Amino acid sequence: MILSLLILNKAGGLVYHRDFSNTFTKLSSNDYLVLAGTFHGVHAITARLSPFGPSSGGTPSSGLEVMESEHFRMQCFQTLTGTKFLLFTEPQQPNVDVILRRIYELYADYVMKNPFYQIEMPIRCEAFDRHLMAYIKPKQ
Amino acid sequence: MTIYSFYIFDRHCECIYIKQWHERERAGAAIRPTTSASTTSPIPDKRVSAGGKQITETDISMRNGRLSVQDDAKLIFGVVFSLRNMVRKLSTPDDNFISYRTNNYKLHYYETPTNLKFVMITDVKTNNLRVVLHQIYVNLYVEYVIARNLYVLMLNNYIAVEHSGGEGVACELFELGLESFVVRTLKLIELTT
Repeated sequence: MILSLLILNKAGGLVYHRDFSNTFTKLSSNDYLVLAGTFHGVHAITARLSPFGPSSGGTPSSGLEVMESEHFRMQCFQTLTGTKFLLFTEPQQPNVDVILRRIYELYADYVMKNPFYQIEMPIRCEAFDRHLMAYIKPKQ
Repeated sequence: MTIYSFYIFDRHCECIYIKQWHERERAGAAIRPTTSASTTSPIPDKRVSAGGKQITETDISMRNGRLSVQDDAKLIFGVVFSLRNMVRKLSTPDDNFISYRTNNYKLHYYETPTNLKFVMITDVKTNNLRVVLHQIYVNLYVEYVIARNLYVLMLNNYIAVEHSGGEGVACELFELGLESFVVRTLKLIELTT
């Protein structure tokens, strides 16, 4: 089951938030903003904490990708431009990668191609909401 | 699987024990996390240069563009503390943060009811090590660190002993126990997978 989706802009601001179930406790919108900011910082630190130095070759360290807790799992997908998609699911949800990619496509199609959308600002696009719900609903 | 490092943080947010395996020039050395490197430390301290002059903290911070071991520990604490609070806020207050993964390492976390935090960093292919961390707490920490310090506790008129600066944690028995426990666990996990 998919619980919640958060989209963070490259400065760590929360631009989109939607709950797909009522498993999570409802927080105030201010709390969600704080949470997004905290996560943005944590993500930057986790990239620095890699046991391999930057000079040791190999792939450069990404930040946090998957986080697990007792009750849920959070997958983070960072686009090349620094936008982060956080998807909260139940621990046994399969194919979260694929779902995130698809959400990114929907974002590209219905948010980025919307001429009235101002970049880095909160997402208020009806078409995006509609298509997102249509995609997530059958998976619940 | 590979284990890179292991940390213990006490309830005052202080790092009381660091051990690193496959890492940097300090490989295999347990570091007592004191900020002022004491010359009486039993561990040969590489931070003291030939002339006996102390290398300043900034020199260490800039070494190969890496942070010092102590600074890393502080960052790790910050990360696990934030994630733990984030998880509890989003979900229920009894939920617990277990682990996170990036593309080249995985961090495992276990917290005791007394707010003692155990952190282990391994490669990404490792399964959940929460049970292992719990065993380290029950079989090694309680046995060797807490039981050993009961004597100190007695001298202290039973006012709980805290391990400021990691004093009393890096004792030989705990050290040896941890080493052999980790080696045994690694073998066991490799056999079963």
